[in-house]
Amino acid sequence: MSLFAPAMTHLARMDAQTVLTYRVNFGLHLLGRLLQIYLLKVVWTAVYAGQAEVDGVSLATLIAYLTLANLQTWFIYPEAVDVFPNRVRSGAVALDLVRPLGLLPQLIARSLGRTFAVTLLVGASLPIVALVGSLRPPASAEAAGLYLVATVLAYGITLAIGIMLALTSFWTLETSGVGVLFLFVNQFFAGALIPLWFFPDWLRTVAELLPFQTQAFLPLSLYFGRLQGGDALHALGVEVLWFGLLWIAAIVVWRRAIRRVHIQGG
Amino acid sequence: MRTLRIVLALVAASLRAQLQYRMNFVLWMVIGMVYQLTGFFFLWALLARFRAVGGWTLEEIAFLYGLRLLAHALTVVVFGGLQNVDWTVHEGDFDRHLVRPLAPLVIVLTWFRPSSLGDLLGGIALFAAATRLAPVDSSPGAIVYIALAILGGMFIEGGFRLVFAALAFRLQRTNALLGFADGIFSNFGNLPLRIFGGAIEVLLTFVLPVAFVAYIPASVVLGHASELAVQPPVAYLAPLVGGLVFGAAWLLWRHELPLYQSSGH
Repeated sequence: MSLFAPAMTHLARMDAQTVLTYRVNFGLHLLGRLLQIYLLKVVWTAVYAGQAEVDGVSLATLIAYLTLANLQTWFIYPEAVDVFPNRVRSGAVALDLVRPLGLLPQLIARSLGRTFAVTLLVGASLPIVALVGSLRPPASAEAAGLYLVATVLAYGITLAIGIMLALTSFWTLETSGVGVLFLFVNQFFAGALIPLWFFPDWLRTVAELLPFQTQAFLPLSLYFGRLQGGDALHALGVEVLWFGLLWIAAIVVWRRAIRRVHIQGG
Repeated sequence: MRTLRIVLALVAASLRAQLQYRMNFVLWMVIGMVYQLTGFFFLWALLARFRAVGGWTLEEIAFLYGLRLLAHALTVVVFGGLQNVDWTVHEGDFDRHLVRPLAPLVIVLTWFRPSSLGDLLGGIALFAAATRLAPVDSSPGAIVYIALAILGGMFIEGGFRLVFAALAFRLQRTNALLGFADGIFSNFGNLPLRIFGGAIEVLLTFVLPVAFVAYIPASVVLGHASELAVQPPVAYLAPLVGGLVFGAAWLLWRHELPLYQSSGH
């Protein structure tokens, strides 16, 4: 236990430094996100076609929502877990497995480090983001608090899903295609392209049965004060439920994966 | 004749190589198809609730999207090999292309990506469905025009791929630039560009000819031509733009090829 905290901190710092070193890479990602935010702003302005409000949502609120949703699905995305299949393919995972720290704590530490650095850089680029999309403060202090809790839970959820996806590389070495599809499914059902308010009914039912709405739609509904009182607590309940379920699943998958380890190129 | 036989033999070899991993081949095909259709899924869900984007209905958007997807799919089927050029140049592997009895460009094009077949299936399906649903002009002239426009679109996107492949002889790594240009074509090419307004529409028509791939041809056969930044007489010539872009790109390729330096040997 005495080793645990320093080891975690060390790994986290390593990954944070990686992000801060490859700032050009971050810049390219940022450009991609800005382009997406800009495209969404133009398309949504065109479909609103001059109406001040649709279903009680003004165009200004919607664009602020979409801007934050696209930042959020980006900076909470567990990129550190994304590169893990490469380590399985190259055999480098052997190094990870002989460390005195379990693989799951290692992945968690790396993700936290990376997210910390990305959050710093995203924070620094907020002025440009505001220029391309639009930003707006939370509806109230209470909304801000609820949003923070929901976003921390959302981070845990995406980390659990990411770890499960990464662990599938113990079964199949070809995971890059699935990753691409996951990105789209996650973004779409998170409500980062269309908020769930505007989903067709049957699609909204599907979205509410999936864990992805916890990534952007629920936290931002709290942020903008669209969910209050009992509804807000219900949203937090949904987040807690998915957090618990997906972490149990991730641990089960890990216990099975460890028995299938083959080290390549040894 | 002999050239054609060699080309076919090389394409068959590339196909055989890919088919060794059959599961992977099928998987990539499906991924190619689904990935291309995800963007349309967004527009479909959006227009289930809202009636139109910039005056274009869902059926019209589907036609535009299908047209651009078909041109894009043909690009990746025919010109997919071009994206390997920057890596083969960087690694010095381009040497092998130079000692074979075929033009290096032809050898590059005989390699093909399994996911491109998925793109093609997706493109054909969406285009066929949208053609039935959208109020498309179906006179013989319009059909010939659209067929030529699809080829023209392929040569525009293919021409840009050729430019970035040619620049690899000078700059070594150009895939990031290619990815950026491809992103512009994929993100803007499927939308009625008038929603972006003046400057951007002009930029995407005259500087980066994204509009000529699908937006202008689709506008002509859907009766939206009067909204365009280029008016009908010029809009009818859209298929020719592909020839111009590709011709210029080919000249650049010929100019840059002698700059190749076999690195790392």
